[in-house]
Amino acid sequence: MVSKNTIIELKSLTKRYGYGDTESFALKDFDLTIKRGEFIMIMGPSGCGKTTLLNIIGLLDRASSGEYILNGEDVAGISSRRQARLRAKKIGFIFQDFNLIEDLPIIENVALPLVYTGYSKTSRLKNASSTLKRFHLDEREYYFPYQLSGGQQQRVAIARAIVGNPEIILADEPTGNLDSRSSHIVMEELKSIHQEGNTIIMVTHNPSLTTYATRVINMLDGQIDTDVKTVADHNLPQPISVKIEKRKVTPEVILGDIEPIENDNHKKHRRNK
Amino acid sequence: MPLLLRTHFKLAKTSIKENRTRSFLTCLGIAIGVASIILILSLMGSVTNLIKSEVDNIGSDLIVVRPSSSKDSITNIVDELTSSNTFEQSSLSLSDVKAIAAMEDTSAVAPIATSTNTVESEKNTFPSVPILGTTVDYINVEPFPLRFGTFFTEQNKSNNIVLGHTLSLALFNTVNSTVGKTVTIMGEKFMVVGVLDEINSSINFDNVDLNNALIMDIESLDHILGSTQIQQINIKAANTDSLAAISDNIKSTLKDNKSGDENFSVMYGEDITHPSSSLFTIVSGMLALVAAISLIVGGIGVMNIMLVSVAERTHEIGIRKAVGASARNILMQFLFEALILSILGGIFGLLLGYLLAFLLSIITPFAPYISLEIVATTILTTLAIGVLFGIYPALKAASRNPIEALKHYR
Repeated sequence: MVSKNTIIELKSLTKRYGYGDTESFALKDFDLTIKRGEFIMIMGPSGCGKTTLLNIIGLLDRASSGEYILNGEDVAGISSRRQARLRAKKIGFIFQDFNLIEDLPIIENVALPLVYTGYSKTSRLKNASSTLKRFHLDEREYYFPYQLSGGQQQRVAIARAIVGNPEIILADEPTGNLDSRSSHIVMEELKSIHQEGNTIIMVTHNPSLTTYATRVINMLDGQIDTDVKTVADHNLPQPISVKIEKRKVTPEVILGDIEPIENDNHKKHRRNK
Repeated sequence: MPLLLRTHFKLAKTSIKENRTRSFLTCLGIAIGVASIILILSLMGSVTNLIKSEVDNIGSDLIVVRPSSSKDSITNIVDELTSSNTFEQSSLSLSDVKAIAAMEDTSAVAPIATSTNTVESEKNTFPSVPILGTTVDYINVEPFPLRFGTFFTEQNKSNNIVLGHTLSLALFNTVNSTVGKTVTIMGEKFMVVGVLDEINSSINFDNVDLNNALIMDIESLDHILGSTQIQQINIKAANTDSLAAISDNIKSTLKDNKSGDENFSVMYGEDITHPSSSLFTIVSGMLALVAAISLIVGGIGVMNIMLVSVAERTHEIGIRKAVGASARNILMQFLFEALILSILGGIFGLLLGYLLAFLLSIITPFAPYISLEIVATTILTTLAIGVLFGIYPALKAASRNPIEALKHYR
């Protein structure tokens, strides 16, 4: 019985690598139901299949067998073109190493998912600009990623993940490369995004972060070891229908003058990873 | 799905700008190929134009008969160049000329036979002067203006000759008082009765450089040489309405005269303007081949640099795919970049080619010949090169697995 609030349903999902003697399982008969508004932390030792799970949920990878139902639609066997479309519209990714395009200013990095969902250039930049504002980066729209600190870069990446108003946000150790202060800021941002009713699935190694989650899943050898819900289903935050402006809408705000970027510290301040 | 043309264009522009040097060098590869093709097309066009303007001057009533079958196929040309038939007897003879002249449809018939020989004057002696053997009708078919004197006539043709402008200067150091003087060829004395005006076009459909030539009666030439080869017969038609019918008549007359052999071709109108020298066709064909090869090498350069670009930007491809780019989006992005590179090279080559053609026109009589067709062909060719050599790197980029690509570091 699929309730209206169920966003993801995984049934006996298996991901197999290799054949014969070298056969190994990243996921084995994995079952999971995720409700709208959940903030799930997935923990577990290295190689237990956390990232594989995240990639399959994010439609970057395909399971060897099993069912994946996203929003009531079976997406396990769809074409890679449809996968790409769903990635653009329904899924937001946040990575450990930010994965921003170095050659693009951060506003265009944020606008990137909108490029592939058919927004006009003006509405792309407008949406990206207002999303950046939320992360207090509106003064740095035309900075390049290497001109920002790690925490700021991750906030740009979060802005990119939510700009298209996706159904789920997937975060693969978003604080893994950050110091504790930046980690805290990033987690607070994720928390507030969750509070607005977004569904977040996050992989982490850091047990102290589990306080942010509504559900903590421990994985072991491609299967669920423990699954603890800290918030009852009916208490989950639900999305308020905030629809971002659709394409071809006349922009109310014209972007201000673009400040030239200072190129002198181009090489000096390359990001220190 | 939107095509995102403007986005791809902007991305390609950024990428090309950021790798200025290597983009320029890649464009240069294409440009050199395009420039050499442009140069050859321009040369061929201007040669055709030169001959055309000459034929236009002579009039639209010209029909030309050349020996052997028509030279339109490459194998014929190669045969002709490689076999020893330069020394073979021409299939045209004086009796053919007389047969054509006897027809009602023709008003003037002039055979062209060429030879080279030593010409002596009272002052100078020149070896290998081109000698043109023809008939009195020559000046009626091709009305070249005479600077001084007259063309030889039916009465005095056996020992009277006409000199080209440059040859007159060379033999007598003058053109003014040449008429009446005597030259000696193979021990025979000939009197100069006329000097041609200077002729500006160095190429004509007679394949003779008239400025340097000595014109005499074909029978006299036959007499001093022992034999002559008629390389072409120029015919002025009696009326211009039915050149096709007249040329058919000439064909059947000649066929009768040769007891059925059709070892000649009858041309009129546009056909005459095709460069008559088979060597010219061969050389320009070879040049075009070399130019095409250099264009292909340029295309390989584009492919090479696009492969580098794809490898460098694997991480970016991973990011783009993760945020929702489909394989087609990525394909278009890189294909677009290849297209812009090759079109830039094409435009650059177009300019370079015409610059070279212009420089060449300073030292040769070939005026640069620009036509919309050439420009359009060039742009289309570079587009095709861009697609042909850009598709493989673009496909490679598009087929990258996003997870692998994301792990890939710069």
